[in-house]
Amino acid sequence: MSNYDAIIIGAGHNGLTTAAYLAKAGKKVLVLERRVAIGGSAATEEIFPGFKFATVAHLASGFAGEVSADLDLKKHGLELLPIDPLLFAPQLNGAPLAIWHDAAKAVEAISRHSKSDASKYPAFCARLKTIAGFLRTIYGLALPDKANPGEFNPMELLKVGLKFHGLGDKEGYEFLRILPMSIADLLHEWFENDLLKASLAASSMLGSFVGPRQQGTAFNLLHHQIGASNGALRSAGLVRGGIGNLTAALARAAEQQGAVIRTGAEVAQVVTKQSAASAVVLANGEEIAAGCVISSADVKRTFLKLVEPTYLDPHFLLQVQNIRARGTVAKINLALDALPKFKQQESPSQLGGIVYIGPTLDYLERAADDAKYGRYSKQPFMEITMPSVSDPSLAPAGKHVMSVWMQSAPYHLRESNWNDQRDALGDTVVNLIDDYAPGFKNSILHRQVLTPLDLEQTYNLTGGHPDHAEMALDQIFFMRPVPGWSRYRTPIDHLYLCGSGTHPGGGVTGLPGYYAAKHVLKDLKQKKS
Amino acid sequence: MASYDAIIIGGGHNGLTSAAYLAKAGKKVLVLERRHVLGGAAVTEEIYPGFKYSVCSYVVSLLRPEVIRDLELPKYDLEIIPLDSTFTPMPNGDHLFRSGDHAQTRREIARHSVTDAEAYEHYGQLMAQMALAVKPMLGMIPPEPTTWNPKDLFGLAKVGSHFRDLGDKLVYGLTKLMTMSSADFLDEWFDTDVLKATMSASGIIGTFMGPRSPGTAYVLLHHYMGELDGAFRSWGFARGGTGAISNAIASAARHFGAEIRTEVSVDQVTIKNGRATGVVLSSGEEIHAKVVVSSVDPKRTFLKMIDSQHLDAPFLKQVQDFKIRGSSAKVNLSLDALPNFTSMPGKGPHLGGAISISPSLDYIERAYDDAKYGDFSRRPYMDIILPSRLDPSMAPPGKHVMSIFVQYAPYHLANGTWPEKREALGDTVIDTLSEYAPNMKDIILHRQVVTPWDLEQEFGLTEGNIFQGELTLDQLFFLRPVPGWAKYRTPIKNLYMCGACTHPGGGVMAASGRLAALEILKSS
Repeated sequence: MSNYDAIIIGAGHNGLTTAAYLAKAGKKVLVLERRVAIGGSAATEEIFPGFKFATVAHLASGFAGEVSADLDLKKHGLELLPIDPLLFAPQLNGAPLAIWHDAAKAVEAISRHSKSDASKYPAFCARLKTIAGFLRTIYGLALPDKANPGEFNPMELLKVGLKFHGLGDKEGYEFLRILPMSIADLLHEWFENDLLKASLAASSMLGSFVGPRQQGTAFNLLHHQIGASNGALRSAGLVRGGIGNLTAALARAAEQQGAVIRTGAEVAQVVTKQSAASAVVLANGEEIAAGCVISSADVKRTFLKLVEPTYLDPHFLLQVQNIRARGTVAKINLALDALPKFKQQESPSQLGGIVYIGPTLDYLERAADDAKYGRYSKQPFMEITMPSVSDPSLAPAGKHVMSVWMQSAPYHLRESNWNDQRDALGDTVVNLIDDYAPGFKNSILHRQVLTPLDLEQTYNLTGGHPDHAEMALDQIFFMRPVPGWSRYRTPIDHLYLCGSGTHPGGGVTGLPGYYAAKHVLKDLKQKKS
Repeated sequence: MASYDAIIIGGGHNGLTSAAYLAKAGKKVLVLERRHVLGGAAVTEEIYPGFKYSVCSYVVSLLRPEVIRDLELPKYDLEIIPLDSTFTPMPNGDHLFRSGDHAQTRREIARHSVTDAEAYEHYGQLMAQMALAVKPMLGMIPPEPTTWNPKDLFGLAKVGSHFRDLGDKLVYGLTKLMTMSSADFLDEWFDTDVLKATMSASGIIGTFMGPRSPGTAYVLLHHYMGELDGAFRSWGFARGGTGAISNAIASAARHFGAEIRTEVSVDQVTIKNGRATGVVLSSGEEIHAKVVVSSVDPKRTFLKMIDSQHLDAPFLKQVQDFKIRGSSAKVNLSLDALPNFTSMPGKGPHLGGAISISPSLDYIERAYDDAKYGDFSRRPYMDIILPSRLDPSMAPPGKHVMSIFVQYAPYHLANGTWPEKREALGDTVIDTLSEYAPNMKDIILHRQVVTPWDLEQEFGLTEGNIFQGELTLDQLFFLRPVPGWAKYRTPIKNLYMCGACTHPGGGVMAASGRLAALEILKSS
């Protein structure tokens, strides 16, 4: 009855990446997506007629170049639009900071705020590029995974050792030293201007339950540098047609190789026989058998909802329950009649990249304080994109779409609930942007507010965490998703994981899906022989 | 002009330990201490007649057993009195009282949560195992990770195989401990807020972090690492105050022939052809030595005592970037009578151990929030002991001394200066304490407030950091004090470091002093 070699749960970008690689290797693959549209949190949706939104994720930050090449995604319609400026950070009083893609232009812009900072900026970018490059290299190595004994390969260790030594003394030490640091401490070593520091710190906090003074935030900055690095900022890119075009290209690549994708097909259960996954049961009762099942859903959902717990060792279950996935971001999508005009903004082209609201490190820290005590910040840090500036097809002529990631909106509210607070949160965001861009409020045509609760309910992100599990030092590398299971396998034979909750983690990188496919294929090959 | 094999700058417990080890190996050693008493931050002083304060450091747990053994410290009157209970009064009139009596502690925790009492056992076992696993690192000179030197590679391999041999459970456990926040770590084990708060407090002592800051879990281990007379998990108080430890080490050093001078301030390390040749005192006196060993922190050593022309710019930048933010203060009180706690009235056993003002995780976290923005905590975390309950010689008959460790008190204040704010901090401490022990204000005879600024001015601790540099992952092991110089050596030949700023760091451990001496003896 086993028609399929593999069933993949979830048609997000990681699930589709895995599907495409497996199909390319000649496997019969079925992808099951709960929603009517594919894409998961990397989807373009026309929520209001004529306005197309990147509903959840809005940037393809460092999508892996090799995946793009292997799967020929360009041919399947993927076009990445470079982001310029890399960031635009307005202030309530004072000139905004715009950092352009062009290094000389960036230095010139920074020098308007601090000459000394401008002179150090190129060296800072170069340092980060080296270190992030090394991080990317070790992401690709098979991790020590004691759950699969006998697989430990001393050659791998030697390879890491050689690469590490290749960095040289100074950079080698810097890698070890910077990885666990707080981003605030790292930036203090280099820069004096608070606006610059806050702007650079921003990407190290996004999505995580942290403030800039917490250790491990420097790692997050590095994580956002992987892929084609744009200097000191996240290697972000917009996708023509919205981020959904990335997942659409992946889906086309998978289908061309023979993979079948079914939407509106919610998996209710993974069926196990003799402690091995053998099939899935859909919400409508339909049972589909397969050689293996690969879940791109988050780890908690996979093991606490889809698998019969009696098949799992209680210690493993406890580890899964202990995964920290406290969401702290909300997403606000706005349809605009006109572009906002921020204080002292020079031209509309300054809005073509990422806009950060979060002018000082203390501002970011105070916002994070609010989340700690279970309330959403009234002065939150925000990452804003207006993709229609560079891609007019996303909105009716002359109109625009705005996508706002609002940080410090904790999933667990102590004194209220998200259904009561949804609109208040939307108002907070809109009012705050209006403070920085007077008159902004009047340009809003439509508004969609996705609280962490909505992210959980609509997109099945447990705890509303966009990375499936917090990207913290104790939940990365061989600790991700749980200690001992970093190679995409699980205690249940033939059941694999491939989502953001696995190594190397969150962001629209395609890497978890890619590495998972490699491991699955290796296992399938061994089984045959 | 006098000449020595080694001059030690600073007569703190690490400097004295280095001196003792070097003298024991037959070297001619001179220790130079700026103050009139020995001990540095491990000192006992009679600030008010009859009342003896352990002015700064007030408990001992990590003092290395090999140092006690090698230097035969018990011969010099070192006696450690166990300090085995922790009492946490709560604002609602309840309390948590953990004592050395295992069964009683279990019952007490069960009173708050039955599952926590169960978890506490398992937690204790795992922590004790992990403490054993980490202990060898404390006694080892860190290898350099970036060289091809076979010795270092061997050292790294040794560290690697040590951890491999520990087995999965401990390796994963240790990874979590090194990287998690104490609050998150404890959340995985316990429900009771006051228990988690009091336990997490040990993770934040001396750091500029809160219980929810990643990196604080590691210090939880320290509570299971103490080893006194072979008994694990014990904290102690040195009879005669913490200064008694320094005095015992000094006596041992003298016994081995070391010379110790007090009230001599080193102005400068003399350097010729890139080599340290001696020191110049503030009196102008010049003393020569084959090696100079600084037990003071790197900022003071390299930015104040050495002409910058002898150091290259990248190294100076590393020293400048060394994080050394002080975050704590000390309040020492002379008392006419014992404090009377609402939640546990009278003179019970709870006054013979640690008293912890840490009623909830949020309480400590809020205290940290104040400090982040440059103010001392409005309601601080406090770790209190009553030394005179353990050793009556610390105070006149019938009277008492109280030692209060206060956190957070940031060195850098956003508004005002510490001389202006010193008494306000003292008042905050007493006010906070009065909420739990209402008779406090009536029984105080004298009060000494030691702010981070005072720690710097009086004890030479830059920015008032009690560990001579923060104990964060980026400043530990082969990264301490700065990358490339973790082996007690410095870019200047014959100049060594031996203070808490070096591996394995702060606390009255004497480990840095010992390891530095061993490294020096290797090359001479």
